[in-house]
Amino acid sequence: MAVGLLQQMGYTHARHYHGGIADWQESGLPVETAAAAAAASVEAPPPVPTPGETIVEPARGRAAQRMAPGYGRRWGGAVLDVVESLSAAQIFLVWLGVVLSCGVIYWLAGFAGHPGLVDTGRPVAGNLRGLLSAIYFSFVTTTSVGYGDVLPLGPARVLSIFEAVTGLLIFGALVAKFVSRRQDELVRDIYNVTFETRLDRVQTNLHLVLSELQSIASLCDEGIRQPERVGARLESAVLVFGGELRAIHALLYNPQRAPEETVLEAILVALHSALRTLSDLVICIPPEFTGATTVSAALRNIRLLAEDICAECVPQVYAPGLSTWMDRVQQTARKIV
Amino acid sequence: MDSAFPEQAGGGAVPEVPEISRDEIKRRLNDPSLTLIDVLPREMFAAGHIPGALNLPLTELEQLAPRMLPRRDADIAAYCAKFT
Repeated sequence: MAVGLLQQMGYTHARHYHGGIADWQESGLPVETAAAAAAASVEAPPPVPTPGETIVEPARGRAAQRMAPGYGRRWGGAVLDVVESLSAAQIFLVWLGVVLSCGVIYWLAGFAGHPGLVDTGRPVAGNLRGLLSAIYFSFVTTTSVGYGDVLPLGPARVLSIFEAVTGLLIFGALVAKFVSRRQDELVRDIYNVTFETRLDRVQTNLHLVLSELQSIASLCDEGIRQPERVGARLESAVLVFGGELRAIHALLYNPQRAPEETVLEAILVALHSALRTLSDLVICIPPEFTGATTVSAALRNIRLLAEDICAECVPQVYAPGLSTWMDRVQQTARKIV
Repeated sequence: MDSAFPEQAGGGAVPEVPEISRDEIKRRLNDPSLTLIDVLPREMFAAGHIPGALNLPLTELEQLAPRMLPRRDADIAAYCAKFT
């Protein structure tokens, strides 16, 4: 399948490894996982290249990084991941925790004899009133208000700057969280709408292809009187068919969202009857029609794509009814000559 | 199964899909002249692939191939989950 596509794209030396990753693993050969590859590309120095290897080998590594999400991201990425995983309430609690603990540290610093905070000219006392002043100062600092009635001295200045910066960053993350949630909802809505529309279009087009193929087949049974028109109709039918089949293939192999079972079943049933009609048609129609380059390329494409649809080959497990239809699709595809 | 297929396509009847054996891939694993392509979806690639393989998911093959494989005459070995 992949090799067929590559050949169509002009790759002359593409070959297929039939056993695939399953065969490779079964024979005990090493595989690389994304985590291992990421670790290797981030930490380990590249192996000393032998002459001639210099250009290609790093390119492989870079390509692998580009291909897999999460590769090559260091602590900046890790911080973003943490922020991503926390809820808005959790971020708020972290912010509150930073503010309160900084307040306590200011207060303790004054308590321990260091110059700590000065409240309107007098050092902050080591009692509850002093603790409240320290926490008040902490909030005024972290929100970057800075009234100036309570002032930090000595080491407390360093901490207050650190607190101001950290507090703003965490607060920024909190705000971003709210904004991105709204955005996520919008994107999901838009995606759902386009997804439904796309599914509708696949179904409609499949039925159009089916009825067109059937009418060409009936022409074929009666004997073709206008070969040019039949050729053009066949060409456009198989081209549309190929396009829709590609969409179905992508839906099964790269599902961002699973379609409803009934919808998927309807699509598979329509696909199966279209393939069956096509395989009958190919037998009936004179070879000069199917021999045209565009038609034969499209037919090969349809066959390759449809052969990939079977319960065992698709990455997900579907309901038994759907699996049966997928297997039928594959069997019928093999009949297309 | 592997020895039953010729290692190099060519000579006599050229099969429609030329094959490459596991042994040849194994032998040329560190040979930069052979480009390995994993056409499985990204998640499956991440779960385990032949060392040094590039991930060109089948659904994106047409868009990615010209960028990732600029040389049309390059020696390419493509694989997926298993023979289908």
